[in-house]
Amino acid sequence: MPDVLVTGLGPVSSIGIGAGEFTAGLRAGRSGVSEITSFDASGFPYRRAGEVTAFEAGELLDRLVPEEWGRTSSLAAAAARLAVTDAGWDPAGHEPGRAGAVVGTTSGESVVMETVTRQIIDDGFAGMTPDVVGKLPAGRLAHGVSAELGLTGESMTLATACSAANYAIGYAYDLVASGRADVMLAGGADSVCRWAHAGFHRLGALAADVCTPFDRDRAGILTGEGGAMLVLESREHAEARGARPYAELLGYGLNCDAKHPVAPDPASIAECMRMAQRNAAVKPAAIDYICAHGTGTPANDAAEARAIFEVFGPEPPPVSSIKSMLGHTMGAASGFGAIAVSLAIAEGFLPPTINWSTRDPELGDLDPIPNTARETPVRVAQNNGFAFGGNNAITVFGALT
Amino acid sequence: MSGLVVTGWGAVTAAGTGETAPAPLTPVAVGDRFGELPSPAAPVLADFDIRAELGRKGTGSYDRVTGLAVTACGRALESGSVAVDDLTRERIGLVLGTTVGGFASTSDYSRDTYVQEKPYLVNPLLFPNTVMNCAAGQAAIKYGLKGVNSTVAGGPLAFHQALGYAATMLERGYADVMLVGCAEEFSAHRAWQSAALDRTGPAGEGAAIFVVERADAARRPDAPVLAEIPATASAFGGDDALTACADRVIGEAGLDPADIAGIIAAGAADHERLGLRAAPLHVAEWYGHCDAAAPALGLATVLGHPDAVATPALIVARTPDGGAGAAVLRSRR
Repeated sequence: MPDVLVTGLGPVSSIGIGAGEFTAGLRAGRSGVSEITSFDASGFPYRRAGEVTAFEAGELLDRLVPEEWGRTSSLAAAAARLAVTDAGWDPAGHEPGRAGAVVGTTSGESVVMETVTRQIIDDGFAGMTPDVVGKLPAGRLAHGVSAELGLTGESMTLATACSAANYAIGYAYDLVASGRADVMLAGGADSVCRWAHAGFHRLGALAADVCTPFDRDRAGILTGEGGAMLVLESREHAEARGARPYAELLGYGLNCDAKHPVAPDPASIAECMRMAQRNAAVKPAAIDYICAHGTGTPANDAAEARAIFEVFGPEPPPVSSIKSMLGHTMGAASGFGAIAVSLAIAEGFLPPTINWSTRDPELGDLDPIPNTARETPVRVAQNNGFAFGGNNAITVFGALT
Repeated sequence: MSGLVVTGWGAVTAAGTGETAPAPLTPVAVGDRFGELPSPAAPVLADFDIRAELGRKGTGSYDRVTGLAVTACGRALESGSVAVDDLTRERIGLVLGTTVGGFASTSDYSRDTYVQEKPYLVNPLLFPNTVMNCAAGQAAIKYGLKGVNSTVAGGPLAFHQALGYAATMLERGYADVMLVGCAEEFSAHRAWQSAALDRTGPAGEGAAIFVVERADAARRPDAPVLAEIPATASAFGGDDALTACADRVIGEAGLDPADIAGIIAAGAADHERLGLRAAPLHVAEWYGHCDAAAPALGLATVLGHPDAVATPALIVARTPDGGAGAAVLRSRR
């Protein structure tokens, strides 16, 4: 069964665009959060989010005409373009059907949904125009990537909410590991939008100014956006072209809480961790770092910590949440996590949980890597993803052997 | 990769709960229960009542597409004699296909941020309905399914992609049994979207979910094989992708193109390029435009009315932006 390697990284994020900037951002503990400008937030009590204000689709895309695609498809395609450039791989001429794309998302073309809703409000249902509704289907995220890169294999969007990038990375892994694909672009994308901001606020899940995961006084999430795409490649294909991989994707685990539409279930999360570790053939003691789901809500961080102690025992590895820097980038979140752990493994550092000030006694001896990145070798890392609907997906990465 | 067998199915269509149409349906006068519509008649299941079907427990916040999907899922479990208990629930998976999830739920939520007195005066109970995996998550809660649970947003191609996903989960050992299907609800949003896209005929609705297992796995004695899907493929690249997928699945099924006796597709545009001399079932003519649900409704129709399409049949789908898929269907009669 072919090994699956990570050979290219494409982050379009609020802390940096491209692998170099993103790495610098992680190392510096940069915050990508700012006052919302993409929609009128004046009626909301809380007005900050992790927008990718520097994103210029036209600068990053070679083939797609930005006006023909929604923002989320553009983010996915731009991230994928960055990833293949980073990988030094030219998709052109690849054997038909053997290179494809899987993109995870929570809300798909959420801003297009707002545009069509405004059309309905202003002019009634007859006001919906074909150019807008034509951009709405979430399947366009994967097809945008495929069209941008000229991929002819599977072109799939997985809409499993806030763990979706891990679902996408996992499925892409399966396609390569089973020999059905040589190279796959995989990750996730989502856009900041007014209705998600409203929804999380109404649930009491939004923080006012900063996201403080694992802090005693954590108050919730800040919404975020971005495109996070990785190149996954069989070892054979990578070696044949002299690729320089970051890490190996060892495996993943999936399960479903089947309990509550939004509240996480620690027992089910713990079981997903065990499943991922079994599938990756690693023991808990071998894991050097956990990139947490770490949304910064009281409920998630408590449930996640409990599951970690259940699986790892009283001395788990260090755990950090990059949502402290990016906000919650929804379907892209575990894709940014996958990029972060690939960099952690390749370069030997642990990203910090920023904005951390006060230990939470309820979280025991958890080491959240507070505020400052840590230089240390990373041989195996676990990348967590949980979601509404109880959709849990965890990917495990390891150093090259 | 081993092919799939279908050992159970459940459907909710405009022909009825648990029913498929024996012939193209006549649109019914919908009245005003969906609000203002581009045409007064559509093929909808007018009397579909979520709480009458599923009870009150846990269903209070369900939107229509969630109700359709969860109902179909329950019927599929029953049809396939799938025993869900503490020994099996982590090994039974579910993958559902959609276009945007609940278009009405999501748009109405967005609408409230503009029309309510304050933009955050949205209904917290309805927020989960705005996320595309809502139906799959609710089905898992309702039936206690703790294994693989995925949602494919593929529009017309979602069923083919979901079949490939299900086959992969079984092949790679993440699940022993998979439920796979698609659902779309009728709504003013979908009806007017169809009109905006200049489609002929009304939008429709339906949910169809199938119990699938590996063809080479041991058979469960109380779950006879109802149909076989020996091969599925989905890809990107317009005409070339469609041809490649059709060629591949026909070949993998050990057939020649001349063996294909029937076609299941949303409409003629999906398959005419293949030039197959086979009698088609055009789902849009039977059930209205059903987007992600079309191929699945077609398959359910063959299971409910074997004479609807001759087999071996090719199930074909395309998306406007270049996605394509094909699957071979053999029914057991």
